[in-house]
Amino acid sequence: MKAVDELLIPEDLRFGKNHELIRPENGHTRTGISDYAQDQLGEIVYVELPQIGDEFKKDEAFATIESVKTVSEIYMPVGGEIIEINNAVEDSPDLINQSPYEKGRLVVIRPSDESESETLENTANSTKPNGTRHLKLCG
Amino acid sequence: MANRIAILGAGPGGYTAAVKAAQMGADVTVIEKDSAGGTCLNRGCIPSKVMITTAELLEKIKKAESYGIALEGSARADMPALMERKNRIVKAQTDGILNLLKHNRVNYIQGTGLIRGNNLAAVRTEKGEEHQVPWDKFIIAAGTRPFELPELPFDGERIISSDHALNLHEVPESVLIVGGGVIGCEFAFLLSALGAGVTVVEAMSRMLPLPSVDEDCSKILQREMKKRKIGFMVNRTVAGAEEKGGKLNVEIRPSSFAGDSSKKGEEPSFQQVDKILVCIGRTPVTSGIEGLDSLGVRTGGRGWILANEKLETGNPDVYAVGDILGPSKIMLAHAAWAEGMTAAQNAMGGEKSMNYDIVPGAIFTSPEVANVGLTETRAREEGYRVRADSALFRPLGKAQALGEIAGQAKIISETDSGRVLGVHIIGPHATDLIAEAALALNMKATVRDLAETIHAHPTLPEIMMETSMKAMDQPLHG
Repeated sequence: MKAVDELLIPEDLRFGKNHELIRPENGHTRTGISDYAQDQLGEIVYVELPQIGDEFKKDEAFATIESVKTVSEIYMPVGGEIIEINNAVEDSPDLINQSPYEKGRLVVIRPSDESESETLENTANSTKPNGTRHLKLCG
Repeated sequence: MANRIAILGAGPGGYTAAVKAAQMGADVTVIEKDSAGGTCLNRGCIPSKVMITTAELLEKIKKAESYGIALEGSARADMPALMERKNRIVKAQTDGILNLLKHNRVNYIQGTGLIRGNNLAAVRTEKGEEHQVPWDKFIIAAGTRPFELPELPFDGERIISSDHALNLHEVPESVLIVGGGVIGCEFAFLLSALGAGVTVVEAMSRMLPLPSVDEDCSKILQREMKKRKIGFMVNRTVAGAEEKGGKLNVEIRPSSFAGDSSKKGEEPSFQQVDKILVCIGRTPVTSGIEGLDSLGVRTGGRGWILANEKLETGNPDVYAVGDILGPSKIMLAHAAWAEGMTAAQNAMGGEKSMNYDIVPGAIFTSPEVANVGLTETRAREEGYRVRADSALFRPLGKAQALGEIAGQAKIISETDSGRVLGVHIIGPHATDLIAEAALALNMKATVRDLAETIHAHPTLPEIMMETSMKAMDQPLHG
C-alpha cells in the first residue's frame, strides 16, 4: 500500500465523499477514482460501467469496481448525464491501478448543475485520507 | 385400510410416494409413459447439471494459464461426446430408480395411464394393449411440459424448448433465450460457456425475478452476465420471429409488465439469431390425462391440480404431488419428494401436512444462487423486525484458491432474538452451502448458533460464520 506522500494527487482535481474525482473541462467532467482509492482496493479485476445517456443524481451509484479484495460502488460526484464511457477499462480494469487519472478514468459526465462541482473538496483538502472516506462494500 | 395404490408418473413425486407406500405395506402400481425419473432426471435437473459441469470445466480450462497450467492448443466442447456422457448418467440413474421400485416390490408399468372412473385406472402400452389397474387410492404425479408461446411455436430446430436444448448435438452460434427465470438463466451461462453467443430477454425488471430470490443476487448475477458477455434485456418481451437470410429475425418489444417504460424503450428492436430457446415456464399435462374429469379433481388456471396441504384433491381417494400442483406450491424436485412422502402416508391413513416454509432453492448459474426462508422484503411484510447482513466470498482463502471470488451471502435475522429467517447466497457452491442454512432455519437457530459453530478452514462454509458474526455486530474480518 502506498504511503501518503507516494499518492498521486494532481492539483486540478476535485474529490467526492467516497474518493470519486472529477476533472472539470469545458462544461463536462472526466470522472474516476483517486489514486488512494485504487490503492486501497488493490488489484482491480472488473468494472461495470453505466451506458451512455444514463442520468444519475449526485451521490447515486453509477459504476461498480471489483478488486481481488472487495467490491465497491462508485457514486456520482456531481449529478448529470453520462456522455462518454472508457471502454478500455472494461477490457483492462488494471488500467485503473496503473493510471487512475488518465487511462483508467471511468466516464465523462455532463453535469446538470455546474455549481455542484464547487461543493467538492479540492486537492489540498484531500491529501490525508480520513475515516469517512472508506469505500462501501456492495457485493 | 387402503391397500391398492396406483400412481400416475414416476418422477421424483411419484416414485418417492411409491416406495414409501410400499414400505408401509401397500400394493403399489406406478404407471409411467416415458422414462422413470420424470422431468428431473430425463429433461431437467440431472441432464442440465451434466452439461453445466462440462461447461464450467471448459470455462476453467480456457483460464488454464491463470491456474498455472500451460495448455497447448485450444479446448472446445465435443457435443456428441457430452450427449453420450449425459445419456449414460441419466440411464444409470433411471436404472437405479427402477431397481429401487423393484426392490420395494412396486409394480412398474410402462405405458399411457388412463382413468376409467373411481377406483379403476388402465395402462395402454405401446403395442396398444390395455391393462386394468384397480385402486383404492390414486396419486397423480404426472408432471408438466415446457409452456409454449403461440407466437413462437416449438419446431425443435430453430425455436426450441429446454427439452430440445438438453439434446443439442452442436453448439449454436447465437441463441436468444426468452425468459430470464431459473431455466433461462441456467441455459444462458451453460450455452455461453460452451461457446454460443447468448442474449436473454426478460419481461420483468431483473434476471431471476422470483419473489424468493434476493434482489442483490439478481444484481450480482447480472454483473456476472456482463463479465461473460451474455447479453440481457429486462422489461422486454419477444413479439415474434421470422426467417430472414438463414437467421431468425426476432422482434423485441417493451414488456406490458414493465409499467412506465421510457420513450426510447417503446421502439421495437430486432436481433438476428440462429435459435430461440423459450423458457417461460411449465404447463401441466392435465389435459392429456384421459378420463381425469371423471374423478372430480379440482383444477385451476392452465389445468394445475388443486390440492390442500395434505395433498388431497376434491376426491377423497385422490392425491396429487409434484409440479402438476403448479406455482401455488413449489415446483422443485425436492419439494415433490416431500410431497410424495406426505401423500403416501396420508393415502395409508396418515394425517401429514406439507410445510413449504423451509424449502431451499438452488439455481445452477455461474456463480450459483441459492436461498431458503424469507427475503428481507417478505420478512418485513410478515411483520418481523429484521436486519440483513452480508459478507463477500472474496476475503475467503478457499474462494481465492478456487479462483471463484464473486458473490456474497446474506442472512436475514430477527433483530431482537437473532433467529435466522432467511439466507440468500450467490457464489461458488452456493447450492451446497444452502444446506447448512436450511438446517439452521429448521432448528430455529440464531446467528449466534451459526457464529459459534466452528467451521473448518479453509472452506467456503466459513461465509456462514462470517456473515453471522456481522449479524451480531462482531465481524472478525471487517
